[in-house]
Amino acid sequence: MTTETLPSLPTIGPLLARAALTARGRRGSEVPGRTLRVENVRVDRHRLAAYQRLTGYAVSDAVPQPYPWVLAFAVQCELMTRPDFPLALPGMVHLENRVTTHRTLDAADPLTLSVTAGSLQPHRRGRTLDVRLEAQVGEDLVWECDSVYLSRGHGTDDAPRGDTAPDAPAGPATVVWRLPDDLGREYAAVSGDVNPIHLHPLAARAMGFRRHIAHGMWTYARTLAALGRTSLGPSTSRVWFTKPVFLPSSVELVRATTAGGDVAALRSRKDPSTTHLVLSLEA
Amino acid sequence: MTTHRRAAVLGGNRIPFARQFGPYAEASNQDMLTAALEGLVARHGLAGERLGEVVAGAVIKHSRDFNLTREAVLGSSLSPDTPAYDVQQACGTGLEAAVLVANKIALGQADSGIAGGVDSASDAPIVVPERLRRKLLRLNRAKTAAERAKAAVTIRPTDLGVQVPANTEPRTGMSMGQHMALTAERWGVTREAQDELALASHQNLAAAYDAGFFDDLMTPYLGLTRDQNLRADTTIEKLGSLRTVFGDGPGATMTAGNSTPLTDGASAVLLGSQEWAEEHGLKPLAWFVDGETAAVDYVSGDEGLLMAPAYAVPRMLARQGLTLQDFDLYEIHEAFAATVLSTMKAWEDEEFCRERLGLDAPLGSIDRDTLNVTGSSLAAGHPFAATGGRILATLAKLLHEKGSGARGLVSICAAGGQGVVAILEAA
Repeated sequence: MTTETLPSLPTIGPLLARAALTARGRRGSEVPGRTLRVENVRVDRHRLAAYQRLTGYAVSDAVPQPYPWVLAFAVQCELMTRPDFPLALPGMVHLENRVTTHRTLDAADPLTLSVTAGSLQPHRRGRTLDVRLEAQVGEDLVWECDSVYLSRGHGTDDAPRGDTAPDAPAGPATVVWRLPDDLGREYAAVSGDVNPIHLHPLAARAMGFRRHIAHGMWTYARTLAALGRTSLGPSTSRVWFTKPVFLPSSVELVRATTAGGDVAALRSRKDPSTTHLVLSLEA
Repeated sequence: MTTHRRAAVLGGNRIPFARQFGPYAEASNQDMLTAALEGLVARHGLAGERLGEVVAGAVIKHSRDFNLTREAVLGSSLSPDTPAYDVQQACGTGLEAAVLVANKIALGQADSGIAGGVDSASDAPIVVPERLRRKLLRLNRAKTAAERAKAAVTIRPTDLGVQVPANTEPRTGMSMGQHMALTAERWGVTREAQDELALASHQNLAAAYDAGFFDDLMTPYLGLTRDQNLRADTTIEKLGSLRTVFGDGPGATMTAGNSTPLTDGASAVLLGSQEWAEEHGLKPLAWFVDGETAAVDYVSGDEGLLMAPAYAVPRMLARQGLTLQDFDLYEIHEAFAATVLSTMKAWEDEEFCRERLGLDAPLGSIDRDTLNVTGSSLAAGHPFAATGGRILATLAKLLHEKGSGARGLVSICAAGGQGVVAILEAA
């Protein structure tokens, strides 16, 4: 395992271009044991305010739980476009995410972000990759996140399943959101995630999708924000992305409070049997 | 008349005030009010608590913010079962909200409540010109294609445009500063006296910060930890060098230094009955003794726009059997330095007190060392509806420090020729 400290956050655009150009040649079953880290990452308050407005958080100093993931996205891209990385970044699908916040993150905190690629696992529809993100303030680990991505390809039918998502709460919708056609472009502007599958129907079709889809991290953040202030403090949220949200569309939030915390799901308004994500939150 | 129970001021919280288009330029009224509220909730351990009510408002408000205060409550850690409503009485909003909450507590209709206010001069609603608005509504009402076409062709390129709210009295077309300049001239308020008051405001506010006075009255917000408008190092020379911005000719006295700037900010004050405070382990800082509102006819020119508190105070004093000198501390909102000085001159003026207030003798003067002792709006800034909460929390804490029985007077002028005043007494 090697740790490499980058001088600053990389620029995402060129990395995604490189990822697209080098996608075809990538193969192998070994993920290099490598951690990339960036020190002294400062939150740009204008970008944070734009993110907060778009995801339904109040504009404040409290950094939303998914936001360090957004900050570290460029570092993830850098890691996954290294020549020895076995998987192609374009077309990779975000399946799951678990985030723990150890203390409320303040926008003034200088963060040290690190990204570590974990192992490859067989999956019914290809292979999954675990990626671990950490945020430190000084020596303190304040935030940690484990993401699971699917690299689509030849699947293994008898692959062991990971943790399955809890059942989506039944019952009536508590909130309805009409997601506009340009939501992906709006979110790309505040998050830097300019993956073409979120931007335009034609670009998405070229990547094998029927239409362009909402960023999973937007649907996750919007759902968390709707659950109140809990996730701004010490807490753990888990999300399972089950079906993409095509744009434009209407989605509805269903939620339930259990002994272990809140469970929420986002489902299609037109077809409530389609669940887009399931989320659990405990403090 | 004091058969009902008393309402206590238990604490307050605000975010530092920022200059227009400063660090809060992208924060909405709801964002700022939520931040002020959440800080108050955190400091007093009110998370999950159902309060009697939360009352607040904003002077410059988007039409979508019809339930601004309720939305802020829902965005806070208070129990979602806490009701809320909006009030709006121009710059008197925050204090009027406190009068309403205190009255409900006094009457036993509520045991606790939060009064607050917020204003953004940066995130202002933009509206289309009135003529265009009417034509668009007509177009919207049209049922047939012919009606729609007829309505559409009436829209001319010259109708297009946007309007931002201005600090102007609708009935007179004059800005608040222009109105104030008339009053300042009427009372012969000098440039020097105004600059001295402004200097004292900055010096007092800076000293209060240095002494840590605001540590338990404020939550940092968007990187600000102090009021952005504060100029701790300003001097009488610097203030004297500014050009005048309101009033005409050589007699003009009002500058950007002795007038409050446009500001963004929010404040909130926690009130409750003595029993409720005890149950929640909170200590009353001051009792909310009384409040009074007044209005004057500024439209005909009979009285100055910002002179209503000069009328409200003597009415409240008479009701309470107090004189103007029966107070340990005075908080007179510095809309302009000239507002404070004109009001005090009026109270000292025998003719005004006899003919306008119907008193046998002038109310007299107040000791300047007891006026706005931790600074006021000239230094802190003045996000219209947030000023009442700032003053109430400050005065309640100051009185509490002075000790039981200490009395304080609050006076806040408001647009529309209105004024809200109140009396606090240390608990």
